[in-house]
Amino acid sequence: MARGSCCVFRNELFRTATFRLTLAVVAAMIGSAALQFFFGYSQASVFEARRSDMLLLREASILQRETPQELEQQVRDRATDDLRILLNVTTLFDSQQHYIVGDLHNWPADLVADGHVHVITPEATGGGSSTVLRMVAVKVPGERYLVLGRSRHMRTELRLMMRHSMLVSIVPTVLFALMTGIVLSHRALSRVKDMHEAIDRIMEGDLHERLPAGKQNDDLQRLAGSVNRMLDRLEQLLDEIRDVGNDIAHDLRTPLARVRARLDRALNADHSAEALRNVISHTIDDLDQSFAIITALLRIGEIENGRRRAGFGTVDLESLVADIIDLYEPIAETKGIALSHVTGDDPPIHVLGDRDLLIEVLANLVDNAIKFTPEGGRVEIRTRMNDGCAMLQIADTGIGIPAGERRAVTGRFYRSDKSRHIPGSGLGLSLVSAILALHHARLDILQSRVHDSLPGATMNIVFPPSGVVQPGN
Amino acid sequence: MTMPSEINPSQPAPLAPQPVAATRILLIEDDSKIAQEVVEELESRGFHVQHEESGAAGLSMGLNAHFDVMVVDRMLPELDGLTLIETLRERKVHVPVLVLSALSAVDDRVSGLKAGGDDYLTKPFAMEELAARLEALLRRPDNSRQTMLRAGPLEMDLIERTVTRAGVPIDLLPREFRLLEYLMRRPNQVLTRNMLLEDVWNYRFIPQTNLVDVHIGKLRRKIDESGKPALIQSIRGAGFMLRVP
Repeated sequence: MARGSCCVFRNELFRTATFRLTLAVVAAMIGSAALQFFFGYSQASVFEARRSDMLLLREASILQRETPQELEQQVRDRATDDLRILLNVTTLFDSQQHYIVGDLHNWPADLVADGHVHVITPEATGGGSSTVLRMVAVKVPGERYLVLGRSRHMRTELRLMMRHSMLVSIVPTVLFALMTGIVLSHRALSRVKDMHEAIDRIMEGDLHERLPAGKQNDDLQRLAGSVNRMLDRLEQLLDEIRDVGNDIAHDLRTPLARVRARLDRALNADHSAEALRNVISHTIDDLDQSFAIITALLRIGEIENGRRRAGFGTVDLESLVADIIDLYEPIAETKGIALSHVTGDDPPIHVLGDRDLLIEVLANLVDNAIKFTPEGGRVEIRTRMNDGCAMLQIADTGIGIPAGERRAVTGRFYRSDKSRHIPGSGLGLSLVSAILALHHARLDILQSRVHDSLPGATMNIVFPPSGVVQPGN
Repeated sequence: MTMPSEINPSQPAPLAPQPVAATRILLIEDDSKIAQEVVEELESRGFHVQHEESGAAGLSMGLNAHFDVMVVDRMLPELDGLTLIETLRERKVHVPVLVLSALSAVDDRVSGLKAGGDDYLTKPFAMEELAARLEALLRRPDNSRQTMLRAGPLEMDLIERTVTRAGVPIDLLPREFRLLEYLMRRPNQVLTRNMLLEDVWNYRFIPQTNLVDVHIGKLRRKIDESGKPALIQSIRGAGFMLRVP
């Protein structure tokens, strides 16, 4: 088990980004050493060639000044003494390029006696030497030719030396880099391992767990920071959902508890048909309230998850408002509330949307406005254009929404303390928010200006310019 | 969800019209719980219900036996509900069909009606809603091209757009006229609030307030005569009915 996990760990090591980076760096090091060798060698060999040429020409000019006898003697000596290391070929030929004395027996085919240095390949030397030679042939007194040559053995030696030194230096460098890489990867891996363990704990349900925060301010740490912030947000959302769950349970429990208590009483008390009918009728009302809550929740879920825009088309706001007034006028009348449509001078406004859903939005908002407006009040629906945005406002002279509660009212089950006594699922505005989000529209809650004496609310729906259908399109 | 229909003893059970020969209903639904509930409910109302669980079995039953109305779930094993209805219509079976579906969107409803369904109901639904809609399908409204509608003392002139009660003109707003016309075409038939919202106002949502009741209340005050029984009666837990003697 221990060995197994050790092997796994080693495999993981080779898979870490740090180690892979190390490998890439090592490859680059080897490459750069090779390049260094190549350029250094070629530079040195150019230098060596130039030095050889200078040496050959200088020697030739010195030997040219000798008398024929002395020269012949010198050539004979040179063929055997230590100077051969510097000049590998020293030979005298007669005017017919026939051998007189020296260590080269045949006149090289490519050699021209022009006093310039020539590079002679081994075949051209007639098999006398197996290496490439730099040669110069000059006329010397007595109608003879003096041929001096220098092999490239220095260059070969140089190459061997440089290759050797490169190998000697690169091996420890690479080993050192690899070791550094392994150590660094190991450290990175152990941090990643810590993070993995933290994530495992989170997945097991410990939502308060966070990724370890190190001291380094590197990319891994910044990533851990982002993940931690994401976890904070998720935890907050989960808390909200838990709260909503509690709210749902509470709102469902209330009518059900009433049903139970009423049925309990009915069981023990007066059994007259009239009384029982009364009990049943109230029971149905309470159950209907529970159903309304469940239906509204399902509907919100459907709209939020569905993202369906299949039912979208051009919707005429004027006719939408006319329809909603037709639907709600009787109920407004019974409460003595004036429900009216106020239009500006704008031409008819058309928006892109799902008519059925938009009617539902308006119905909810108008329903609320009527519900929260005292008798004798007014509810006005206004449509107008503003900065390319289409605005649909529902203004009332009701109790209004305190500035501090305006954000919260669109949350699920939010009911202002002032309105606890007014029946409703408490889900209307979240449904409105969900539908408007589908339309990329916004809901602002403003203070009414219809009657300054009453702190009524104005629900302001703003369709962005992209959702407004221009006439003619 | 269900309730005894005889809550008010002064009314005869309005939801069980006591069919002359037992009305035959074909229910094609794979959810056995819902199916059982529907079968029990409909049989208690005097209908004869044949239940099939798969689309294929439902189709062969629908093609080979006579039914007065069918209830078809959209999502069925083997053969989905919409294809089933299309196949029935292709084979010239014109029995009215009510489509059932999970809580869903308007486009679903549209495709359900396009496929040849006659009405559409989303789950979860109240049994009263289902019963009322089935009855509406069984008693197709009188949509003939007649220009006068009569229901008891009421007379409606569809061309002049006027209504009289026992010869006395009644002044109705356009929306009240539309509502009354819908009721007069379906006398003695239970109409749920949802049916009224969908068919009269063309809305497909459940309002928070008792909107329909307010509209009906306004209409009642205009068409009823004091001292006489109300023409539009409330059916507790279900909806309304224009009762014509």
